[in-house]
This record gives sequence, C-alpha cells and structure tokens, in this order.
Amino acid sequence: METMNFALVGVGGQGVLLASDILAEVGVQAGFDVKKSEVHGMAQRGGSVLSQVRWGDKVYAPLVGKGEVDFLVSFELLEGLRWLELLKKGGIAIVNDQRLPPLAVSSGGMEYPSQERIDKALSQASKEYHIVPALAKAQELGTERATNVVLLGALSNHLDVAEEHWLKVVEERVPKKYVELNRKAFAAGREL
Amino acid sequence: MDAFGCVRRCFAIGALAARNHLLGELRQEVLLGNEAIARGIVESGCHVVASYPGTPSSEILPAVVRFKKELGLATHVEWSINEKVAYEVALAASYTGKRGAVIMKQVGLNVAADPLMSSAYTGVKGGFVIICCDDPGPHSSQTEQDTRFFAMFAKVPALDPSSPREAKEMVKAAFELSEKHRMPVILRPAIRVSHARQNITFLPVQELERPADFEKDPGRWAATPPFRYILHKELNKKLASIEEEFEKSELNACDEGQDHTLGFIAGGTSYSVLTDTLRELGLDGRFPILKIGTPHPLPQKLVADFVAGCNQVLILEEPDAVIELQVLDKHKVLGRHNGVVPSAGELTPEVISQIVTAEMDKLGLELPPETDTRELATLVADLDLPVRRPRLCPGCMHRAAFFAMKRVLGSNAIYPSDIGCYTLGLNLKAVDTCLDMGGAVTIASGLYQAYHQDGKDVPIAATIGDSTFLHAGVPALANAVHNQARFILIILDNSITAMTGMQPTADSGILADGRQGQRVAIKDLVRACGVGFIEEMDPYRVRDFEALVKRAREYSRQPDGGIAVLIAKRPCVLYDPTPLQENPVRVAVTEECDGCQYCQLAFECPALVLNEALDRVVIDRRICVNCGVCIEACPKECIVEA
Repeated sequence: METMNFALVGVGGQGVLLASDILAEVGVQAGFDVKKSEVHGMAQRGGSVLSQVRWGDKVYAPLVGKGEVDFLVSFELLEGLRWLELLKKGGIAIVNDQRLPPLAVSSGGMEYPSQERIDKALSQASKEYHIVPALAKAQELGTERATNVVLLGALSNHLDVAEEHWLKVVEERVPKKYVELNRKAFAAGREL
Repeated sequence: MDAFGCVRRCFAIGALAARNHLLGELRQEVLLGNEAIARGIVESGCHVVASYPGTPSSEILPAVVRFKKELGLATHVEWSINEKVAYEVALAASYTGKRGAVIMKQVGLNVAADPLMSSAYTGVKGGFVIICCDDPGPHSSQTEQDTRFFAMFAKVPALDPSSPREAKEMVKAAFELSEKHRMPVILRPAIRVSHARQNITFLPVQELERPADFEKDPGRWAATPPFRYILHKELNKKLASIEEEFEKSELNACDEGQDHTLGFIAGGTSYSVLTDTLRELGLDGRFPILKIGTPHPLPQKLVADFVAGCNQVLILEEPDAVIELQVLDKHKVLGRHNGVVPSAGELTPEVISQIVTAEMDKLGLELPPETDTRELATLVADLDLPVRRPRLCPGCMHRAAFFAMKRVLGSNAIYPSDIGCYTLGLNLKAVDTCLDMGGAVTIASGLYQAYHQDGKDVPIAATIGDSTFLHAGVPALANAVHNQARFILIILDNSITAMTGMQPTADSGILADGRQGQRVAIKDLVRACGVGFIEEMDPYRVRDFEALVKRAREYSRQPDGGIAVLIAKRPCVLYDPTPLQENPVRVAVTEECDGCQYCQLAFECPALVLNEALDRVVIDRRICVNCGVCIEACPKECIVEA
C-alpha cells in the first residue's frame, strides 16, 4: 500500500506528543509498519510543535516531506495554517477550533488570522477540512486534557481501523482513573 | 477519492501481514529510539550506566531505569554531575572487566573529550560504549557538530544507526566490538533516530557473570608518555584490524540496483530518507545504495569497489561530510565538497528530494510529476503568520528573578547566562550571552577583568541554573573568586533539570532510580568557593528580591567586597505545582489599565494578553496559574489581587 502519513501539530504543552504516540500504536495494532518523529526540548515550552506518524507496509524514515501528508491534525487554528504546506493534494485537515495567540498577537503587534482567512486557506489547501470544537467537548467531559483524544476520535472517522484498536491503545496510554473519561472523549470525537 | 479507496484496500492486506508477524512469542512495544537504545544496553548485560541529560539523549537513562526495575537487575545507573564525570565512572567499570555505557548529547562529548582521547590509547577491558546523540538542524543545541568526527579524532570506531530498531541492535554490536578489540566504541544516533518511534522486540537479557577485577597494569592504566607512544601504535593496529572487520560486517549493506549511472552511499537517517524518497519517485531498486553503518573507520575497499562500479556516486550523510572526507578518490563523488549537498542544516525529506531530483534531471531521467508544493508555500507565506517562540511558562520562577534583576540593574548592565530553560530569559532581554555549560560564570568573570583593566565599573549579573551550576559552574566560581573578579551571580535553583525533562540534581539528593542519595548543597559549595555574600530567597517575593540584588551590587563594589551570589529558590511549576496550589493569588487587571503594555514587555507572561477592543491588558484565565507575581509588573498598579 501507499504509506499513510499524518502530521499532528499544535503548541508545546497541548498534548500533541501523547496523541501521536497513541496514533503510532494504533497503527501497530492495525498491523502496519510504523515510524514516528517527535520534538523534545526547547519547543516544548510553548513553541510550535510538529509530530509525524507514518503507517505502511514498510516505512524507513520517520519524517514526511512537504506535500506528502494525508491527514493534518491541528490542536490550534493558527498552527493548522502554519503547517498546511505538509498536506498532499487530496489531503484532509482536522483542526481544533482553539485559538492560542502567540506573543506577537497578544501584545498587539500582529493579528490573529480571521475566521474567513482561516476557512479560505484551509479550503484551498485541502480536499476537505473540519474545524471541530474538540476543546469544548473535552471541557464538557470535565478536562481540557482530553482534547487530544477527542481529536483522535474525529480522525478515526476517516480511517478504516476498528474502534477496538483505538480504545485498547487509549486505555493503555492514559492513567487508570481517566480511562472512562477518555473513552467518552474518543466517542465524542467520532460524533464530530 | 480514488487514492483513498486504494489506500483502504491496502490497509487490509497490510493488517494481515503484520498480524502474522505479531503472533511471535516475544513481547513487542512501540518504543522511542532512545528507549530502544536503553533496551539494547540492558539486554547487553551492561553493569554500569552513567549519563548527563541533554536533548536528544535524555530519555535513554530513565528507560534503562525502567527496564532495570522491570527485570529486577542490579545495574548501577546514575545521573552524573557532568559528561566527563559520567564517562569516567562508566569507564572505570570497564577497567574491572564489567560492561559500562555512558550517554550524552553531542556537545556533551566536548566536555568528555579529555577522557575520550586518553581512553582510546589506554583501551578498555570490559565492553565500553559511548552513546552520543547528534542534533542536525540544530533543534536543541548550540552546534551541529558531528560526533563521527570525534571518533576520527580520537581514533575510535563509530556506529551509525538508521532506525530505532537498528540502534538497539548496534548497541549489542558495539559492546562486542569494544570487548573484542579492547577499546571504546561510539554509537552515534542522530535526533531522528533518538526521537523516532518504532515497534521493538524485547529479547532476553544477556547474563554476564563479571565480578569486579581490576588488574594492576601501570603501563596501561597509568601510562606515562613513553608508554603512550607504544599505546598509540597499538591503537593504530586495532583500528586497522577493525577496518578489516568492517569490510565484511553486516552493519554495512548494499541494496542492488541495475542502473549504475549513479550510485548512493548513505548512512543514518539520510539512508532512511533516501530510501523513502527513491520509492516515492518511482525509482525503488533502480540505483545501487551502499548503506554505511560503520562510518569510522570507513571500510575503504568496500567503498572503493562500490565507487568503481558506478559512473558517479552521491554521498548523503549528516550533519557533516565524514564518510565523504574519508573516500580517497573523489573524482566520481558528489557531495559537500562540490556543493551538491548543503553544508549546514538537516537533510530533511525536502532537501534530499531536491538533491535527488536535480541529479535525475542531469541524467535526463523523467520523473513522475513531482508533487508541486509551491502553490501551498505561497499560500502559507501570504498568510504572514506570527512565529511562536518558546517562552518561559506562566508562573516560572525564572521570570520573577529576571524581572527583579532587570528592574534594579537596568539595561546598561551585562547579563551573561547559560544553558537551560532560563535561556528563554532572552525574551525579557535579561540574557546577553549563552555560550556553553557554565559559561555564565566564566564570561562574567572575563567581562569584569576586561572592564576593570580600563578602570570601568559596569554592573554584571550572571544567571545559571542549579544543574548547570553543578555541571560546570563550580570550578568557574572558584576561579572567579580566586582571581578577584566582581559580579553578581544568580543561581536559579528550581530543584530540577527542567528543560531536558525533569531529571533530579545532586542538590535534591534524589538518585536516577528515585532512591534518596546524599545531598550536595549548592549553598555549601558556593561558600566553599570562598564567596563572602550568599543569600537565598524565593524570587516570587519580588520587592525583597530586588532589595537583595541592590545589596549584592553594593557588595560587589565595596572595597572589601567581591562576588555576590544570590540563590533564587522555588520549585519549577511543572515539576512541583503544590506550593502554587496551596497559596494561589488570583489577579485581575483594573479598568484603569491604559494598555501601555509595560507588563507584557518587561514581564512577558503568556497569560498577560492585550484585549484590543478594550484597549487594555487582560488575564488569560486558561493558562494563568495564579502566581500573583505580575502584581509587581504594573508600574501603575493596575494588576491587583482579585
């Protein structure tokens, strides 16, 4: 098969790493050769974060070039735009509707892109895009921290991988007392 | 839709193939490259493992601890005070016949260069492996240096893995090679191996009965220069026989190809990226690729034979031209020496794709229409998105200390700083230099001498983290005191090595495996260096801390004064949020705020946000941690306790 490439992007501290871990393990559960790259260190302190996951018959490198990503999952609106170049023609973008203004915006020097510009850019760059209220759904369930699992639920709708694989990995990767909450978060994501 | 349907069909086939694969009895887990390396260390029966944290190497030692605990092993693990110390602790284990491993990032080997050079001559007894992670990019380092050059410099072998799985296998190969030839061996994973994830099979641990047995041999372990000459000749012989062994080693492999108009030599991540790139261009299996897993010593005959069989050979490796430099006859070689491959930065899929495409053009090969990303590039560029720089966290105690320091000393003072989260004090204009580990103290010292010579008194305030102070700041401080330098040194003690992922420091007394060890108090060390002014305070008490900075400045100027050390002490908010939770100070911005933004510029907390509609600053409640320190950051007293 052609390798399936995912890019998960957001702001350091949003839970991008854990989400990409789960996505990688789901790929293994579903029987693929999987490679993943992630960023540690400096960028984790509130910088832009990119993690790439690749599923395929045989995958060598953990990195994906521009124009090669099938699914761009963004934890933040502006970051979703920043990494649009990664999307391949016919790629799909799933974007959390959260806005985290960078310093240049919060100090008033620059503007956060308007909803109109966001929609325009996303529609030009992707075959289809979904701006989803993942943060709000997670908050409804009681914690912002489940935003990443809500987003994975939304992504799972586009993939032919059994739900049980997803739930198994989610259960393994989150602390015991949060398993039920994350199951609900995943289900909420699937409904988005 | 078509492409997608095709992908879905193939999913089922892939799933079937791998299900069979998974039926094997051995346990598998998706591991980070660094965790796979740790598994390799443990499976090799290694007895002593020492490290100093640094991206991209920091996750190896904690994973060794994990496997040691799971398997109930007696492995000694330690976070050493610095890389030189770690190197020598693990090396000594090898003197006794046990296996030792030392782990660090690439610039850590600069610190451990002294024992590396010397131990190459003395050789080792038990297997001794140096795991040194490179950072092409660089992503989180001050240089893009290539550890394989260090291997050449020290005349020791280097192994270069291209994937987490291979990295684990190479750990074992490295121990065997080290033991066979009785010399240190370097494993050089680059960041895309260390921080990649892959499915890894767990194998049983090799049980090595190795009671410590140090055999006295002064001609080796205490060799004087005449003996060193002999050891150098011995080292040259070892290296020649290792090169001979590498000629036939399975660590190097050739992927056959029919078309010999071009061949590739590649190692490490570049090999993986090249293989994927050729496949995406529809050139899978067309050109031969020589994969080099042993970049030093380079198997010269293997390489020469490969080059002889091709019209031209393109060499892809990172971050520098180590294989290329060793190739004796370069007239067919394309690489960095003739500008085909860029000499700085990471060889990402885009870069390699561009290089390969350009060479295919020259060969007149028609490629499938390349995915044209120019349109999207223009689209994104036109959006003119604001960059998102890393910043100190809301509630970070470094911010409070920087703010107080700057408010007292102003912008004419010079602020040498160091390596750690607090380098982000750059955003507050509170960091003027960042050279290397411990550089804050030495640069402050040298700056003082340079100005003092001219009879000038310029305020100098250096900042250094707790772990960095212990790493290289102590000798620097002793030197500064001894040589009568005068400056303020603020030790930012947040009780943890935060930037690299919360490793405990010697000051906390906590050991790598979580047990309590002997505490080494920073304050006692400072006192022992002969410093006459030492004060410790929580920098959240901004006014009091400012008063301390003033006193410190006075002390550094008075006739009987000298270096003044302030220890700013408060736990990292990420590591230990309890003091904040126990004593939250909820703040609000009053309507009197005129939107002057002094707080944003001088205090730079991400939770202070300008609301343009209201034309004043507001608190972003989602990220505010209720530290209350920003009350001090408004000169017009518009930030108040709510």
